[in-house]
Amino acid sequence: MLVLVEAAAYSSLLALSSLGLALCIITTRVSNFAHADYMTIGAYAALITSVVMRVHPYAALPVSALLGGLAALASYLLVFEPLRRHGLVTLMIASMALDVIIRALLSILADYLQASLSVYSRGFIFKDITVELAGFKVEGYPLAVMFVTTSALVSLYLLLYHTRVGVKMRAVAESAELAETLGINTKQILALSWFLAGAFAGLAGAMIPYRFVVSPDTGSFILLTLFAAVTLGGLQSLLGSIVGAYVIGFSESALAYLLASMGLSTAYRPLLAFSVIVATLLARPKGLASIWER
Amino acid sequence: MDPLAMLVDVCVLYSVYAILAISMELEYGELGLPNFAKAAFFAVGAFSVGGLSARLGTWLLGWSWEGSFRERSWLYATMVTKQVAENPLLGLSILAVVVVVAVAGAALLGVLASYPAIRLREDYLGITLIAFSETVRVIARNDENIVGGTFGAGVVDVFAWAGSFRPYALFAFAWGLMLLTWAVFRELSASRYGRVLRAIRDSELAASILGRDVVKMRITTLVIGSVMAALAGVVYSFYMGAVNPDDFTVGKTFLVVMIVILGGRGNPLGPLVGAGVYIALDKTLSFLKPLLRLPIDVNYFAYVVFGLGLLLLLAKRPEGLLPESPNITLHRLKALRSGQRQIAAGL
Repeated sequence: MLVLVEAAAYSSLLALSSLGLALCIITTRVSNFAHADYMTIGAYAALITSVVMRVHPYAALPVSALLGGLAALASYLLVFEPLRRHGLVTLMIASMALDVIIRALLSILADYLQASLSVYSRGFIFKDITVELAGFKVEGYPLAVMFVTTSALVSLYLLLYHTRVGVKMRAVAESAELAETLGINTKQILALSWFLAGAFAGLAGAMIPYRFVVSPDTGSFILLTLFAAVTLGGLQSLLGSIVGAYVIGFSESALAYLLASMGLSTAYRPLLAFSVIVATLLARPKGLASIWER
Repeated sequence: MDPLAMLVDVCVLYSVYAILAISMELEYGELGLPNFAKAAFFAVGAFSVGGLSARLGTWLLGWSWEGSFRERSWLYATMVTKQVAENPLLGLSILAVVVVVAVAGAALLGVLASYPAIRLREDYLGITLIAFSETVRVIARNDENIVGGTFGAGVVDVFAWAGSFRPYALFAFAWGLMLLTWAVFRELSASRYGRVLRAIRDSELAASILGRDVVKMRITTLVIGSVMAALAGVVYSFYMGAVNPDDFTVGKTFLVVMIVILGGRGNPLGPLVGAGVYIALDKTLSFLKPLLRLPIDVNYFAYVVFGLGLLLLLAKRPEGLLPESPNITLHRLKALRSGQRQIAAGL
């Protein structure tokens, strides 16, 4: 039971962050290798806020969302908007450069935190709280993850399908050129999409330290798992990436559980995500989305 | 360290990056195939040195290996190195076997990597190759029988017999390989083969309509490029004197891509110039490190500089330092220019 709850929480984190990655791929064609770094930014934002303001990291979630969003917004405005007319591979290389820059800046920040505030900032974790729920003692983490993911997904759905901005966003995703001819300010809409993508990643990142140790390079360990989720979902579908995230999350957890129960090392866990990427792209590049999109 | 030895040291490192850049230039610059698994092919060369040199040395000397590879590779590498100092032939045979294994392994892996390369769109291919590259690294990191896992593996110094001239022997080996690689690349690039590569890069459809075998060209190019990268890996591990799987991350691939774009995609001198600029910058930064007393770690600062530099380059000067120039004869160039002038005058 506990294993299932853990798997569900992990998958929700993946869903929350890979959704943003898919959003960037769909709207701007950028396979953003810096996307997982917005999660690390969220984690550090929560750490710093909790230390400086002396609050529990859960209270810092809005700050993480804001900073993750701003980082993604800056990436779009400063890097990807000027390079819009370039090829797919150039955009990919630009995102790699961005990834290198963000990770180096986070390392500098971590050194600074260590030296000036003497905050333990490489390989940090958050202490969780326990909540009384119907007589049971439950950890805060699974509840927070489920709550945040569900509300983020519901609000994104409402935004996309029940507001004017949402209609514009879908139009831009469909065809930016056509949307522009119809008088939609695509740059504004794309900026909003990137901000949302980064904010979701920041939220997810602020909750990683309850289960995994976080350091400036944490993003690079998660990145390919996110890509696996998005790829499995067909690379062009938001719903696909959510379903993909749950499939990857549950199968990774199952694999780790199996390996551990057989007494084997769980170090090979990332190989699952890598093989899913390779297998999906080679066998069925349209991914899971091909099941419901005809 | 005296200045000359230091220069030779830098030159060896330069040749490693130059060979890597030449291979990337062939695949990405000429064919337009973003080989984001470069680090894995680089690793194949390094792993064949790390995994084989000590084992091979003990085997050739008739010793039996006691204990696990992880615990003993450093010890045996040192012991074999002592024997190599007396016996050049031992060193050279280890070197020869290691190079052959590296080349064969890389060629095989190149064929394997060409399977997705002939089927996928360029951005999907990039993701696939990165996943492939990380798979190689994660396996090497966790299976301690390959190169000792996170402990790394000790490397036999196959140039130990040269005594105090050892840096120069390594230098000669490294530059020999680099010049050979460049000559092969130059020859390929200027021939019909190179023209077909660029035709495929500029329009795959047009090239295949004109009867060029796109699939075959991609497989061949990936194999050649992979072999080159593996040779760089061999030089690199003798230069470092050790092999560690965590040295072969996507970050290494990124560096090579950066060098190629910096030098100028499509220009045959590009990889040599790009690698030179990178090494010069990198060495200057690490030289300035003790002088500047920055409050931050210079290595991270260097990453920021390189990242920003590449972004600026992509935005302001995507053709790099040396832009691609058409590979046509002077005679035809003149004809072309006068033709353009006539058209301009006519309008």
